[in-house]
Amino acid sequence: MKKLQQGIRPWLIKYLALPSDIVLELPRITIIGQLHVYIENHKGLATYSETELKLKVNKGFIQINGSSFVLKMMLPEEILLEGTIQEVKFVPE
Amino acid sequence: MKQIQDSYLTGYVTILVTGEKPELFFQHCTSAGLTVWNVRKKAPNRCEGNIRLRDIKYIRKLNKKTNYKLKFIDRKGYPFLLRRFIRRKELLLGVLLSFFLILFLSNILWEVKITGVPKDIEEKISKQLQSDGIHPGAWIFSLKSPNEIQQKLVKDVPELLWVGVEQKGTTFSLEGVEKIIVEEEEPLGPRDLIATKKGIIKKMYVSNGLPKVQVNDYVKPGDKLVSGVINESSTDDNNEEEEEKGKKELVAADGEIIATTWYEVNVTAPLQTSHESLTGNNEKKFFLKAGKFQLPVWGFGTPEYKHIHREINESPIKFLKWELPVHFIETTLNEKTYTKVERSQKEAVNAGIEQAKKELALQLGPDAVIVSEKVLHETIENGKVILNLYINVEENIAKAQPLTQGD
Repeated sequence: MKKLQQGIRPWLIKYLALPSDIVLELPRITIIGQLHVYIENHKGLATYSETELKLKVNKGFIQINGSSFVLKMMLPEEILLEGTIQEVKFVPE
Repeated sequence: MKQIQDSYLTGYVTILVTGEKPELFFQHCTSAGLTVWNVRKKAPNRCEGNIRLRDIKYIRKLNKKTNYKLKFIDRKGYPFLLRRFIRRKELLLGVLLSFFLILFLSNILWEVKITGVPKDIEEKISKQLQSDGIHPGAWIFSLKSPNEIQQKLVKDVPELLWVGVEQKGTTFSLEGVEKIIVEEEEPLGPRDLIATKKGIIKKMYVSNGLPKVQVNDYVKPGDKLVSGVINESSTDDNNEEEEEKGKKELVAADGEIIATTWYEVNVTAPLQTSHESLTGNNEKKFFLKAGKFQLPVWGFGTPEYKHIHREINESPIKFLKWELPVHFIETTLNEKTYTKVERSQKEAVNAGIEQAKKELALQLGPDAVIVSEKVLHETIENGKVILNLYINVEENIAKAQPLTQGD
């Protein structure tokens, strides 16, 4: 059953043009220059410091590096990060 | 950012979390559904962030499970401002005082404007108003209603024909109309004076015309008293009449014919009377009324009067131009007594006569003089004395009757 679900999802995206972040439960990341990163659909905060933010997502983590990080807003599944962003990395589990 | 836009109004606090991985505490908060913003990591084991004032109780609950040290380091927003403001007693007192000052000033009469009358009458009116307690600085709710003031003014200042009293907020405007005494200058047409009542002539004063009656004559209603035609003697002869017509002079007869007239009057006077009177003892009470609730302000306790006559004067309190739903009530409690008087027959008769005279005088007007009275018949029935009176009056019985030219 699970196999079938996973097989059907890419097909849904491809043929019915459904947004992939919803269907596959993937994070949606919006980056505005070097200033802001807006992450939706994450699964929780792993680490946070002035220079690093690590968020749990569906498969693995998202790691953002930079400097003078401030979490401008935290909602259950959204985070707005402000600071100087240097890199965004996907780290597999 | 929509979620935190109203945070200043509802108030928010900055908390400092100390412990191992302090950012995870905020993660707990967000998974519990709370909004957290401006999260900064100050040191590896210290992290601060803002939460809403109303979320604090959930934070306390959350922290029972986790093991962080929480410290509130900043409070911002309207609720805290308000609390700080209330804590400053002198400021609050100032606001309260200024409110009462405005309340006080809005209930004071500031100006009395008098228009439409010359200076001297204006002076008179303002003097009269002063003595009635209407002057700048008086309490508005202690004043009488404009209607009452109007009536009183017209009565007390005889020069006034009419006065309009209007209360505009804290100003009393009075508009007066002066009574102009007009001399009776109308040219009168030729006329006779005739009698209106039967009577015996007592005194005659004829200023114009030819008297037709004499003192001590008996006249009936309609009798000619003074003729407006002078030179009438020459009309005896028919031939001469034509020639003398030019000499016949018509005037407006004028004069006063005082005659003794008589009236028969029936009155009844009860042998037992009761009336109430005020003893002069009174007490004043003041209330503030809001809706049905009355708050006594001054004058507590009930006086030990047996019978009480209450006089209630209610007026609204104003704030600037609005009437507050609070009314100021002044109640005057007057002690009154009931007196029952038993009268002897003689006293009752005298009272009856007095009453009859008064009634008759009222009927005849101020010029009539009651000369004498005589009891014709007197019976007692059901505790009442029934009197039949004969009253003699001296009054002017003359009435003008125009002369028609055709006669």
